[in-house]
Amino acid sequence: MPLHSINLPGVGTKYELITEWGDTLAVFFLKAGNIQIYALPRGSRAPAVVDLSPVEARRVGSVLTGAIMEADRESVEVAFSALSDLRISIHTYIIPGSMAGKGIEELQIRARTGVTIIAVSRGDKNIVNPSPSFTFSKDDAVVAIGESDQLRQFEREYLGG
Amino acid sequence: MEGIALALIVCAILAIIARRFALPTIPCYLLAGLVLGRSGLQLVEPSEVSSYLTSLGLLFLLFFMGLEIRPSRIWSNQSAILTSGVIDLLINGVIGFSAAYLLGFSSFDSVIVAAAFFISSTAMAVSSLVENHKLLMREAETVVWLMIFEDIALIVILALLGASSEPITMTLLKIALFLLAIIIIVRVAREEIVAIMKREDDLPVLFTFSVLITVAALSLVLKVPESFMVIALGTALGAVDTGAFERHAKPFRDVFLIIFFVFFGIGIDFFAGGVQLPAIIAISAAAVLSKLASGIVIGRAVHGDAMSGIEVWSNTIGRGEFSIAVATLYGSAIVSSTIAAVVIVTSIVGSFVAGASTRIGDGIWALTNKGERNDKPGNGEERSPPVLEGP
Repeated sequence: MPLHSINLPGVGTKYELITEWGDTLAVFFLKAGNIQIYALPRGSRAPAVVDLSPVEARRVGSVLTGAIMEADRESVEVAFSALSDLRISIHTYIIPGSMAGKGIEELQIRARTGVTIIAVSRGDKNIVNPSPSFTFSKDDAVVAIGESDQLRQFEREYLGG
Repeated sequence: MEGIALALIVCAILAIIARRFALPTIPCYLLAGLVLGRSGLQLVEPSEVSSYLTSLGLLFLLFFMGLEIRPSRIWSNQSAILTSGVIDLLINGVIGFSAAYLLGFSSFDSVIVAAAFFISSTAMAVSSLVENHKLLMREAETVVWLMIFEDIALIVILALLGASSEPITMTLLKIALFLLAIIIIVRVAREEIVAIMKREDDLPVLFTFSVLITVAALSLVLKVPESFMVIALGTALGAVDTGAFERHAKPFRDVFLIIFFVFFGIGIDFFAGGVQLPAIIAISAAAVLSKLASGIVIGRAVHGDAMSGIEVWSNTIGRGEFSIAVATLYGSAIVSSTIAAVVIVTSIVGSFVAGASTRIGDGIWALTNKGERNDKPGNGEERSPPVLEGP
């Protein structure tokens, strides 16, 4: 189905999609910076409307593009088609109490699972490329990178998932 | 100075209250001005400083309007803009002029009232569409383009009213040359302007402010309408980088515009101009009803449905910033009081009707229509948006 885009001067940009079933979905990027999504089922007169902040809209966007997201975990899979279909997953996790107080080196995450921790977010501080001696605290949010199998193994071994 | 401080603090408190109840802020600022100023408690008097800040508010309002105007986009949407725009202009112009003339205004004053009648508040229309979740309605586009037509009509009105005592051909020639100079300079210096506006330091703000003030000052020297030239400057610079100029001009516009609204109210001596309450009520009611008449005709003409007209009406009842601009520039004392009343009444009525219009529409629809009603938004044939394949 074609996606119409139209600029409404003073309001913002509208993207409208009419699905094969005749339902209408419209996304408005408003000048004020926020986003409104309208969903109008076929034959209905009143659309349901959601107001989103840019951050919320991006989250919805990554769900729609196929990334998994559960509560406080998000992941994105990046495929490099030019590199013989190399697929890398990036996933966020919350450090459980069982890992708190231990260092990256001590836990041997990469050696055992192949997963690399590329960033840690603690409170409002972000640490990119933490050193091997970095020690986790409970409730740190970490960004892990690896193949999806490796990430699953990481979840099994360290998160008890 | 303390007058300005008092006025701004009152406005800030009112803005907090208005936002909480989702009410339009412009009538609040006006009412604050009326209460604080000559018509009310007489706590604040207009001063030289306040009148300078007020004129800055007007300049930034018009500059912002200019930024939104893209000649090419308007050109490609002529049919959508023209039909509804001309209906809007004719009906509201005639009703506004007649109402004012019958109430004993001079013919020049009646023209000013007619212009204020005609121009709905773009700010109120846009926030009404967004806050009442009406953007998907097919009428939303009609309303948006209607606002653009009104802006363009306002430019013409300002150019015509602003003609000084000189022969009109002389003024038009000067306007044309000044316009040409702006266009050429912006074209030639395009790269430099883009580079300046990309910077992270204070230069973009300084540049935006000084260019605007310079064009306004030159207009005064050349005796051409500064309001018109500032809009033209906005349009020329908007073609370079709308977003950047909007970002840097917005804080100025927001503050100066509030000063503009509140001091417009402060400067009005509501009861001295021989204003009679019945006349004010009559003309405000006419202002609400004239947009209903034009809305219904537009609904029938553009969407083939008078009910669409109710929707167009509900979002365009509120008169605001541009009506006040016209009154400030050319209104006599009595015209300013009248327009202040029209703005307050229409914007308050407008905000309630816009919230209730869906229910009003449904009620009338249920009473009058038993068959299938084709008002599914988004599949109207009356417009042909540019098509993009894929996101």
